Amino acid sequence: MSETEFIENIKEVIDTEMDLDKDTLLDDIDYYDSVAVLSLMSYFDELGVSVSPKDFESCKSVGDLITLAKEVIDG
Amino acid sequence: MAKLKFNNAKIKAIVTTVGDKRVAIEEEASNYGYDERTLKRLKRSMGFESRYIVSDKSICTSNLCIESAKDIFNSLSIDPKSIDALIFVSQTPDYKAPSTAIIMQDRLGLSTDTIAYDINLGCSGYINGLLNAFMLINSGLNRVLLCVGDISSQFAYKEDKNLTPLMGDAGSAILIDNSSNPIDSYFVLHSDGSGYEHLIIPSGGCRQPFTTEALEIKSYEDGSKRRDIDMYMNGAEIFNFTIKVVPKMFEEILEFASLQKNDIDYYLLHQANRYILQNIAKRLDIDEDRLPMGTVTQYGNQNSASIPGTINAFLSKRVSSNRYRVIFAGFGIGLSWGACITELDNIYAPKIKIYQPKQGDRE
Repeated sequence: MSETEFIENIKEVIDTEMDLDKDTLLDDIDYYDSVAVLSLMSYFDELGVSVSPKDFESCKSVGDLITLAKEVIDG
Repeated sequence: MAKLKFNNAKIKAIVTTVGDKRVAIEEEASNYGYDERTLKRLKRSMGFESRYIVSDKSICTSNLCIESAKDIFNSLSIDPKSIDALIFVSQTPDYKAPSTAIIMQDRLGLSTDTIAYDINLGCSGYINGLLNAFMLINSGLNRVLLCVGDISSQFAYKEDKNLTPLMGDAGSAILIDNSSNPIDSYFVLHSDGSGYEHLIIPSGGCRQPFTTEALEIKSYEDGSKRRDIDMYMNGAEIFNFTIKVVPKMFEEILEFASLQKNDIDYYLLHQANRYILQNIAKRLDIDEDRLPMGTVTQYGNQNSASIPGTINAFLSKRVSSNRYRVIFAGFGIGLSWGACITELDNIYAPKIKIYQPKQGDRE
């Protein structure tokens, strides 16, 4: 999967209208709440990427999520 | 691995009684600091709508279970003296000691020859309780009464937005008899104490004895409030645990029973919340009509009573006049998880009952 595809998927998983890029801060996303975090965890699990809730806590930006999922992202 | 098989025990009746007070999520949204948009999102994703709790904190889990058990005795003309064992699964006993099951032996008019004991479990409690009942039958007893449930409103603090909007109060009674017609039942159980801190009431045990400081209302970073005598839940950890272990457990038990996914008529899971259940249903590729998930929306998460509660709420008519092969699956506090494959063959399972408070509830 390309980075662009991953970001598009994240947008859908979080269920936000906002356009996201690498530098978007998670706290600035309308609407990034506890349900969005659960949805992300579920998405990562489906991708086969093993992450713990603590890994998510340390993510500040969309770029950090990309780093977390790097094993399934091209390049 | 803990895998067990039985063929001589049969579920005869399941009755669930819920707390007498219905609370709509809108009525308490301000306790949790939800704005209109958050409320809308949580209603859609988590399935929040209403929950039933007890109106008076002196109504205990045992009161709801006794109500359920008496319905079984009266409706099926069961002599209370014919019960050989009473198992009470709950995290909200009448007293810290003695065991509530023994008090219930007297209240229900059971014989003093009855075995009675408590099991301290929540979300997985129905499976463990059923296992205990099946083991007793397998060892020669004729009739076991299993009582499960919790008054979660005792430990869910009113301003804890992570836990409280989910929780409902309920007590179920399940009658299990020795059966001359063999019914194959399978159990798998797991425990992982490394996650004990993810769902915990910190104060009041021997590790952290109760002090008046435990009554202090503390505010947490996420905006929720609670006291140390209340239940804490790390929702993200519990969710993560659930999606990792539950689908795998289904594979395990189906393999153990040499059955395929489609041999099962109903998937009856602990009703944690709609979001978790939808997620599991998607992973298992099972439709909602075979995996009911509406209990939290109408009644709240009933802990160990949530599986019987789901049967009484949504399958009452069907299980009363059909024979189904079902999977039960519980998962949560401990951490503990387990599943059971058995059959429900024309059992007595009336529509869910709402408790009527009565004099003597405080005793």
